[in-house]
Amino acid sequence: MSETYDFLFKFLVIGSAGTGKSCLLHQFIENKFKQDSNHTIGVEFGSRVVNVGGKTVKLQIWDTAGQERFRSVTRSYYRGAAGALLVYDITSRETYNALTNWLTDARTLASPNIVIILCGNKKDLDADREVTFLEASRFAQENELMFLETSALTGENVEEGFLKCARTILNKIDSGELDPERMGSGIQYGDASLRQLRQPRGSTAQNKQQCSC
Amino acid sequence: MAKIENGRQSVDTRSIRTISSSHIDDESSLGSDSEINGFTDRQTDKYGFIGGAQQCAQLGAQDVPPEVLRQREVKWLDMLSHWDKWIMKRFNKVRLRCQKGIPPALRGRTWLYLSGGKVKKEQNQGKFQELDNQPGDPKWVDVIEKDLHRQFPFHEMFVARGGHGQQDLFRVLKAYTLYRPEEGYCQAQAPIAAVLLMHMPAEDAFWVLVQICEKYLPGYYSPGLEAIQLDGEILFALLRRISPVAYRHLEKHKIDPILYMTEWFMCAFSRTLPWASVLRVWDMFLCDGVKIIFRVGLVLLKCMLGSREKLKACQGQYETMELLRAIEPRYMQEGFLVREILEIPVTARDLEREHHSQLKRWKKNRGELNFKSPPRMHGTRIIMLAEPPRRQDLQQNPTILVEASQPALLKKSKEEQKSKKRSVKKSKPIEEIPNPYSLPSDNSSRPSEPARPLPESSEAAEAVPNTKSDLLQQQQALTDAPPAKESPLQQSTQSLSSTEQDTYL
Repeated sequence: MSETYDFLFKFLVIGSAGTGKSCLLHQFIENKFKQDSNHTIGVEFGSRVVNVGGKTVKLQIWDTAGQERFRSVTRSYYRGAAGALLVYDITSRETYNALTNWLTDARTLASPNIVIILCGNKKDLDADREVTFLEASRFAQENELMFLETSALTGENVEEGFLKCARTILNKIDSGELDPERMGSGIQYGDASLRQLRQPRGSTAQNKQQCSC
Repeated sequence: MAKIENGRQSVDTRSIRTISSSHIDDESSLGSDSEINGFTDRQTDKYGFIGGAQQCAQLGAQDVPPEVLRQREVKWLDMLSHWDKWIMKRFNKVRLRCQKGIPPALRGRTWLYLSGGKVKKEQNQGKFQELDNQPGDPKWVDVIEKDLHRQFPFHEMFVARGGHGQQDLFRVLKAYTLYRPEEGYCQAQAPIAAVLLMHMPAEDAFWVLVQICEKYLPGYYSPGLEAIQLDGEILFALLRRISPVAYRHLEKHKIDPILYMTEWFMCAFSRTLPWASVLRVWDMFLCDGVKIIFRVGLVLLKCMLGSREKLKACQGQYETMELLRAIEPRYMQEGFLVREILEIPVTARDLEREHHSQLKRWKKNRGELNFKSPPRMHGTRIIMLAEPPRRQDLQQNPTILVEASQPALLKKSKEEQKSKKRSVKKSKPIEEIPNPYSLPSDNSSRPSEPARPLPESSEAAEAVPNTKSDLLQQQQALTDAPPAKESPLQQSTQSLSSTEQDTYL
């Protein structure tokens, strides 16, 4: 492994078709808006190492197809995710109404402890807004989600979304609420932590990777 | 693309190119060197992709010599005019020619014939227009509209929002949701339809799409996507025999086939391979059926994960997935890939056998399939047997009537052709086959059919458009011909006046 990091988190980006999931990922990884993108069929990936609260964390992000029809397929990507961005489009009530289903999928298929941040994307299209901030933030509270309105176009709150989610996971690890050692937690120790923990490198790391997927 | 590279085509041909830009003139890169000619603007490649998107394996791309291409075109035109006989009696030859690559100028028409879309279209005359005139279920219309600008956004045909490419895409996809309301629209159908639209007009593209969805890949796009998951299991089971190393690696890291093969199979590799390879794969796929798709998948898995050294670098699920999403260009290069595909020992029977056992496993673990799909048909021959054409269904509808060629020219070209033939023989062995069908000496029954008039005489050709399709193809054929001046290729096209083709075949 070339990069050193303390932790590795598996993240998901989920939500209905055309809400801007891939664009959020692209904005986060490349720092720019993807003007002409294909729609996702199956899954796309991205990873980035970030610094959160003094720890380096590698985020391994799985970006999924949004069409309802693909749900039976995308379910197999959920396994062992530590965090998720649940995305809807503020200009489309339909994508907002679908949130409950996505939420159920994430909690049952990934892990009940998965840390989820709700992202109301396309914040830049305020004129076409169909879902108010207040309404969505109430939904987030009721379902114990964090909440942000984002814009993959301008980049507003995109980084914050991913970082906020990562920070929450770290806090939960610190407080003992999340156990990285537990199977399917979606969390792995990176090389740096392994050294701190004085665990032998190599074989342990490999075994961990196997059992966590 | 040729129009820019060569900078020599007139404005009116250019607009035709834009309409159906993937009727590629393979000879363009041979005929001139854009740098030498001072046309360094290479914004659009010969397939219509801007900035060379999806062209990563351009190195070593195979350019078929124009003489060979002309000969192939004649052979294909003959096959198309006796299509049922060729398919029923000399199918191996058809298959071999599909493996060599269908000539770009005839690819669209041939795909329509191979898929059985031609027969479907003729037997359902007026159906597409009827569907086209209906408004469509808003539920599907909304989703389709969201996807219109997301299909090959770097292809000149689809680059403009609301442009003709996107409009036709909408028409085809919407028509399908009306044709099969119980299936509706699946996002993975859009790239399939877009590839077809690069080669043929909307009505033809619709019928080929219907054939792909119902005969070649039944159930792939249906609610629940069970068929694709089942095929994932089949692929994985076949991999065990083809590359045990890759198989064990995927098994060890619990990498579900669905994680890496969904896009490959559902889009028939159109979003994965460099464009030259996409076209060659589709040529074979529409001829031989889904086993080609399986073989491509197996080649890629074998090449990327088939040796221990390669696996050292990807110890983990995510790393492996990343690797499979960044396939080395050399494995996708047209020539290499086609050779490998032909060598993978997986037959339609193997697939059926594996399908049977995986279906049994599925039922045991997950119960009955929710969506019953029609049985899969392995290629053009089986489709023809299942949907026998009436005589008139296979008739080509020529749209350009050519005046009788001038005898002087004919004579000249005959001589040229002979010398051409010799030189071709020297450089590259070309299959010589006895022509099983005597060609009609009287061309008036199919006036324009195999005729490829000289570029200069193209204005003389009387264009009588009947269908957009044939008009395009014919005009394409015209514009495919090299320019009048400085062209070393001209002779080879001259030799193709229709009365002469028997010397070729």
